[in-house]
Amino acid sequence: MRLNPLTVKKLKRFRSIRRGYWSLIILGVFFALTLCGELLVNNKALLVSYDGHWHFPIFHSGIYTGEDFGLDYKSEARYRELDDFFERIGSDNFVIMPLVPYGPLEQDFRAGEYPPNPPSFERQHYLGTDSLARDVLARLFYGFRVAMLFSLAFVAISFAIGIATGCAMGYFGGITDLAGQRFMEIWSNIPLLYLVIIMRSLMPAGASTTMRITTLLLIMCAFSWVGMAYLMRTATYREKAREYVDASRVLGAGTFRILFKHILPNTVSIVVTFIPFMAASGITALTALDFLGFGLPPPTPSWGELLEQGTQRMDAPWIVTSTFVVMVTVLTLVAFVGEAIREAYDPRKFSTYQ
Amino acid sequence: MRDYFIRRFLLIPPTIIGITILVFFIARIMPGGPLEQALMQGQMIQQMGEGRQSARLGEGSNITSRQREQLAALYGYDKPWYAAYADWLGDVAQGDLGKSFRYQIPVWQMIRDCLPVSIYYGLATLFITYGVCIPLGIVKAIRHRTWMDTTSSILVFAGYAIPGYVLGALLLLYFSFDLEWFPKRGFIGEDFEGMTLWSAIADPDVSALRMMGSLLWHSALPLCCYMVGSFAVLTMLMKNSLMDNLAADYMRTAVGKGMEFRKAVVKHALRNSLIPIATGFGNNISLFLTGSFLIEKIFNINGFGLLGFNSVVDYDYPVVMGVLLLSSILLLLGNILSDMLVAAVDPRIRFK
Repeated sequence: MRLNPLTVKKLKRFRSIRRGYWSLIILGVFFALTLCGELLVNNKALLVSYDGHWHFPIFHSGIYTGEDFGLDYKSEARYRELDDFFERIGSDNFVIMPLVPYGPLEQDFRAGEYPPNPPSFERQHYLGTDSLARDVLARLFYGFRVAMLFSLAFVAISFAIGIATGCAMGYFGGITDLAGQRFMEIWSNIPLLYLVIIMRSLMPAGASTTMRITTLLLIMCAFSWVGMAYLMRTATYREKAREYVDASRVLGAGTFRILFKHILPNTVSIVVTFIPFMAASGITALTALDFLGFGLPPPTPSWGELLEQGTQRMDAPWIVTSTFVVMVTVLTLVAFVGEAIREAYDPRKFSTYQ
Repeated sequence: MRDYFIRRFLLIPPTIIGITILVFFIARIMPGGPLEQALMQGQMIQQMGEGRQSARLGEGSNITSRQREQLAALYGYDKPWYAAYADWLGDVAQGDLGKSFRYQIPVWQMIRDCLPVSIYYGLATLFITYGVCIPLGIVKAIRHRTWMDTTSSILVFAGYAIPGYVLGALLLLYFSFDLEWFPKRGFIGEDFEGMTLWSAIADPDVSALRMMGSLLWHSALPLCCYMVGSFAVLTMLMKNSLMDNLAADYMRTAVGKGMEFRKAVVKHALRNSLIPIATGFGNNISLFLTGSFLIEKIFNINGFGLLGFNSVVDYDYPVVMGVLLLSSILLLLGNILSDMLVAAVDPRIRFK
């Protein structure tokens, strides 16, 4: 694929802005790690070597029971115990656990203790547990994956609606524009939270988690496209008045050709510069809803839910602190990327006085 | 220009009607409203009273149809939704926002009760934010690319990325619970609750200074959270717009003809770079009052935002409508105010 020389120049400029470029790389690596997160944070073993055979529980479609490894129960093998067991009896068998040997939904209750429990390296709860004895690090890790996937879908859908509406309003103008503006003014004033709560009460009790998340996503998108539509409307107005549009019209281009071949490519800078900010606002909005208890259905791992627990349990400072640090780091990285993209598309050269 | 603003003002009522009619309609057609909740509660109370005997109720409840009608009339559900909306609108036109379903007190009284808190936080945030951001932005622009600019940029970006309520949770944790430097929740100390500033000044037992002290002590942490969001945007706006102007030809001329740099900045560049700052000012008017219910929730401040949030959660529709009405009027007025300010500070801009 050959890129437009202008695009290449912009990419080069983006790369030269170190802070934003490295932020993007760090975020990308992080996200890639969470996508194959089962290998890093999981309560299933990576590898069990038992009686000379190697087993890979994570990639095994069924489950291995305790009996498969010489234990006396028929439920799924508890790999952490298995590890200790092999070590104790000193056999050649061994277990390799992931870096963090806990799942995001797994509850690690121990006799005589009342969770939340503080961070402990010995137990490999590196950031402690929450009030339901679930590992905080595992929940933060998978919470990041959920938040990123959610927010990417959020950006894609609300941009699609916003760009289509804004373009139509700017291009056709007149009554379309006027009606659209009035509608958007009304629409953007309706409290989002109100609809989220109503939708929740409408949800049938047996609705699946996927369906609940999709509904939440759609409601949030339905209220977030307005800003993009305003921007696109102005941009389309500006582009439509330029001569190249008139020229292509004279040459016989139809509305669709003008819109998709001429106007949209010329307004792409607005779309691109807006992506990081929209992604950040998606993460923030989702966390806020989770914090209020109206977001993702439990027990989906989420940052907002951790924050909520943390504010309830002030005696467990590790919950709020670790969530805060992770969330601020991610959002700051996103902001750096956004700033760098903006600068790459719209470089300002300043003269300074000495 | 005048005609433009008159037209803008005339557009407010239809927009308000559009917003309220939509929300009213949704509230009415959705299940789980106040009527159903009241019916369910009544049923539960009856069942508890009569023990297991009423378990035979196949057809539903022991509430008679007459009682049901009374309840419906109480909540205004005896009419179709458009008639009920017309009633509501008529009452609003006469200055009556109705009564809260839940607390049975007038909505206007509930809103009025939380206004002092919201106005206090709104004003304080406004003053501190503008008071800090404009000087900081100026310094950052003049000292562009020095260590001071770079470090403060990182702080500003981190501040931009932190949602206010998340910071609130952290501050509460460390400064209120661990160190106990600040009170945990609430707007003002218990000794002063229910007092207005005026009655405190008049009352010789309570020193007004002590009351102000208590107020500041209680509001220090929430104010940090309110500020953290708007802080970054305003500082960067100020910096960038001043940098644009510093690079402008008229500045080079001024410095070139021998004007002192400091003087040139204050007299020429600064004035021009305040234009974009003025643009955003009008939006403060709605922020000001509605604030952030998340911050209010964390610190348990009974402000306007929390009132709106609680009413939505409780399905208290008269309060929902009242809060919505007030906040959307403020938002629309704020937008117009912004445009007016832009036109006022920049004579080149003409609205048609």
